[in-house]
Amino acid sequence: MLILRSLDRNGPMHGYGIAQHIQQISDTVLQVEEGSLYPALQRMLIKGWVKAEWGLSENNRRACYYRLTPAGQKQATAEVAEFTRVMEAITRVIQPA
Amino acid sequence: MEMERLGELWRRLLFLLQGSRFNREMEEELRFHLKSKTELNRESGMGADEARYAAIRRIGNTALLKERSREAWGWSAIDHFMQDVKFAIRELSRNPLFAIVVILTLAFGIGVNTAIFSAVNALLLNPYPFPQPDRIVSVEARHISGKNSSTGYQDFLDWQRQNAVFESMAIVPWTGAYTLTGQGEPQRITGGATTPEFLRVLGIQPVLGRFFTTAEDQPGAPPVAVLTYEAWRKRFGADPGVLGRTLTLDGQQFTVIGVLPRGFVFPGIETCEGFIALRENSSLGRTQHQYSVIARLKPGVSIEQAQSDMSTIASRLEQQYPATNTGWGVKVQPLRAALAEEARTPVLAMFSAVGFVLLLACVNVSGLLLARASGRAKEIAIRAALGAGRGRIVRLMLTETALLGLSGGAAGVLLAFWIMEGLRKTAPRVFALDSTLHLNFTVLLFTLLVSLLTGIVSGVVPAWSASGADPNSVLKNEGNTWSRARTRNRLMSCLVASEVALSVILLAGAGLLVRSFITAMHVDTGLRADRVLTFGLDLPHGKYSSESQAAAFYRDLLDRLQNSPGIEAVAGISTLPMTGGMQGGGFQVEGRPKAADWVDMMVQYNHSTPGYFRTMGIPILRGRDFDERDTGTSPPVAIVNDTLARQYFPGEDPIGHRYQDAYDGKWRTIVGVVGSVKSQQPMNPPVPGVFCPHAQSPSRWMWITARARGDAAQLIETARTAVHNLDRDLPLLKVRTMREVISDSLSVPRLLMQFLAVFAIFALLLDAIGIYGIVDHSVRQRTHEMGIRVAMGASSGKVVGQVLRGGTLPTAVGVLLGLPAALAASGILRAVLYGISPRDLTVFLAVPVVLLLVALGASLLPALRAAKMDPIVALRCE
Repeated sequence: MLILRSLDRNGPMHGYGIAQHIQQISDTVLQVEEGSLYPALQRMLIKGWVKAEWGLSENNRRACYYRLTPAGQKQATAEVAEFTRVMEAITRVIQPA
Repeated sequence: MEMERLGELWRRLLFLLQGSRFNREMEEELRFHLKSKTELNRESGMGADEARYAAIRRIGNTALLKERSREAWGWSAIDHFMQDVKFAIRELSRNPLFAIVVILTLAFGIGVNTAIFSAVNALLLNPYPFPQPDRIVSVEARHISGKNSSTGYQDFLDWQRQNAVFESMAIVPWTGAYTLTGQGEPQRITGGATTPEFLRVLGIQPVLGRFFTTAEDQPGAPPVAVLTYEAWRKRFGADPGVLGRTLTLDGQQFTVIGVLPRGFVFPGIETCEGFIALRENSSLGRTQHQYSVIARLKPGVSIEQAQSDMSTIASRLEQQYPATNTGWGVKVQPLRAALAEEARTPVLAMFSAVGFVLLLACVNVSGLLLARASGRAKEIAIRAALGAGRGRIVRLMLTETALLGLSGGAAGVLLAFWIMEGLRKTAPRVFALDSTLHLNFTVLLFTLLVSLLTGIVSGVVPAWSASGADPNSVLKNEGNTWSRARTRNRLMSCLVASEVALSVILLAGAGLLVRSFITAMHVDTGLRADRVLTFGLDLPHGKYSSESQAAAFYRDLLDRLQNSPGIEAVAGISTLPMTGGMQGGGFQVEGRPKAADWVDMMVQYNHSTPGYFRTMGIPILRGRDFDERDTGTSPPVAIVNDTLARQYFPGEDPIGHRYQDAYDGKWRTIVGVVGSVKSQQPMNPPVPGVFCPHAQSPSRWMWITARARGDAAQLIETARTAVHNLDRDLPLLKVRTMREVISDSLSVPRLLMQFLAVFAIFALLLDAIGIYGIVDHSVRQRTHEMGIRVAMGASSGKVVGQVLRGGTLPTAVGVLLGLPAALAASGILRAVLYGISPRDLTVFLAVPVVLLLVALGASLLPALRAAKMDPIVALRCE
């Protein structure tokens, strides 16, 4: 969800970029492990939520950019909605009465 | 939803096709990631190296990362498998000698299994290529004495008319040789005479024209012929206008009325090029039993119902014709069972033998793999240390052995081809292998399964043993630890013992068959077979239309041969001894009451020319041989053998008695008594027989026997020239020496013996390899220990003794285990053994001795090496 959301918000990014982005946005609360990031990206490729394209990075290096597909966008929206619903429920439960 | 699935599958497939690209791209991506991270670290003030190390630490195990990303695509099973295969090929090609030995061992095991399985498949399993083959049955006349199982024509007609259980019934084509003229050179072709419903029983239709009808079956109807597809192509160039054309067979014109479908085969008549109507002379009566009958059951009728209906008919015929049918019943059984009856024992014996051979090959390969595993212990330990699980290592090693198994299987199929070619040529008729023996889908599937199974079975023990080692100790000790070597030694000893146990079974079987064969070959057959050449002649009807012409031809030929140099004596005989040929007939002595049951009165009828007994070395016990005074016009005479004399004239002199000839009805006076000769196989007792002078009942068919002054084989050219000077179109049939005739009469036991002898040699070879392997291995493992022993003063004799014990002990255990198994298994051979018991003491004493000698021989080389070892070198080698 985090990866999908990042791509949704920022457009195409490379793997490193996604990791940095999530770390920055969350004020380093969320650290994305490379060990999970790349396998996760592969799974999204299979599902057809993202597409991989080779392009040039900010400092002119070849890098693989992941772009969200329409199916990925739908998935992102659905996952965020689901997460928000669960989150709200949890919040209600843990709120002091 | 479906679309998503499809898209997913498509992307996965695409990934599989671009396998190598993934690795490259993933690597590049990670490199990029690493560089970016390093830069970031530097920006935050780290030193160059420190920044890089921090980045590397952060990313962690890139190999694992790549692997995990790859696994996401779900192809890892295939990936691992391909890796294993590649690795296995690399590993095997690094040690080609080992691979070749293993593959050859397996090839032999799998090859013989494939060949024998195809025989079993052809004989016992594979249904005939006819519709509803299970409804085709064999119907046989069976006499209560078990003496004859052929059917007479008159009985056949009654069965056909009276039964209510069969859709159709026919006589299996009665094959004969015909001379085809009018198509270039005269040629001998084989044809079959059958009854009109033959094709209906089999459930097939001619592709062209029709089969003959009941009307064309009658004597006097215009002669017609139906060709096989192959004969139609060969003789008429597949001309569709062949119907209505004529064939001249033995001078008689046959009109072609039909062509059979392509690839038509029926066991026993494979050589027939065409079929004509069987026009049986009804005067033959009910005592001429010579045909085989097949029938097709009506739908829904069981074999048992058919049997009971036919038994009713048979007992009705017994009442109707008591003189001829008393004691004759009927046996209905599936066609396959009827055809396979004779071959069942040898084929099943062979099948179990090849099973043992394969097992032996597996055990041997296991041993070889185990020995090799000691050299690979380190490699396996490294794999284990790097995190490969036990399952993964076992899988790797099994892939390797499965690959070996498959290669062995491929080589085995080639070997099987070769064996089957040989079987096709040498296999006796009883195997009925001519047409049905080939590699088909079932056989290849069998081979594939056997190969895989073989690979896995031989790999399991070594794989499990190798993967169980503790990597820590292996790597630390730079080689093998004591206890592990001991365990492996014990395992190898077990394998050698089981190998030896299996060999005992094969060796005992081979030994029994060899001894039985030698006994049978040396049995007194009643004749002197050395220096005698034999061949058959069959004068075609067309050229020799009268019997006197045939008689004149043979008189001329024998005269010429008699005067040829190198020939001591020459004569003709209608049925050659030891060929199993039987021309039977009743024997009614003058002045005695008619026997109630003519089958009990059956004797073997022969026709011979003067000098036959002298040529074959058969003693004339009383009276005289035929001579030139016995002609077609002189009083009919006969000679009987002493078996007949004892049976019919106990305590009397048969000479001067008269009996009625069952064929021409003449009363013959007995003028001589000769020694009896075995007629079937050397081990069967001789049957009562009579001989009539050929001049008094001439036939076109004759066996010529010639005793040479020197080597019988040298006479072949002389004989050929003499025949061709008289008739250059006449082929000499089955030219053999009499020794070969006797040996051929034992062709089934001989073939079995040859097979088992080869298996036994193979077993001994494998045993030697296995025993050498284990002894050599233990010497290598214990070099250090032996060095100490020798340094402490052990004599070299002691060392040698110790090493030899390592080889002979498992052999002795194997022998002890194998002997009871062999005793139990040898029972299968009872039916094919002659003159010795399946528990023959000589064989069962010789087998252990041979095996122990082999064990000693195989251990000797490593033992001597151990004895010559310099203790200093030995101690240093660790």
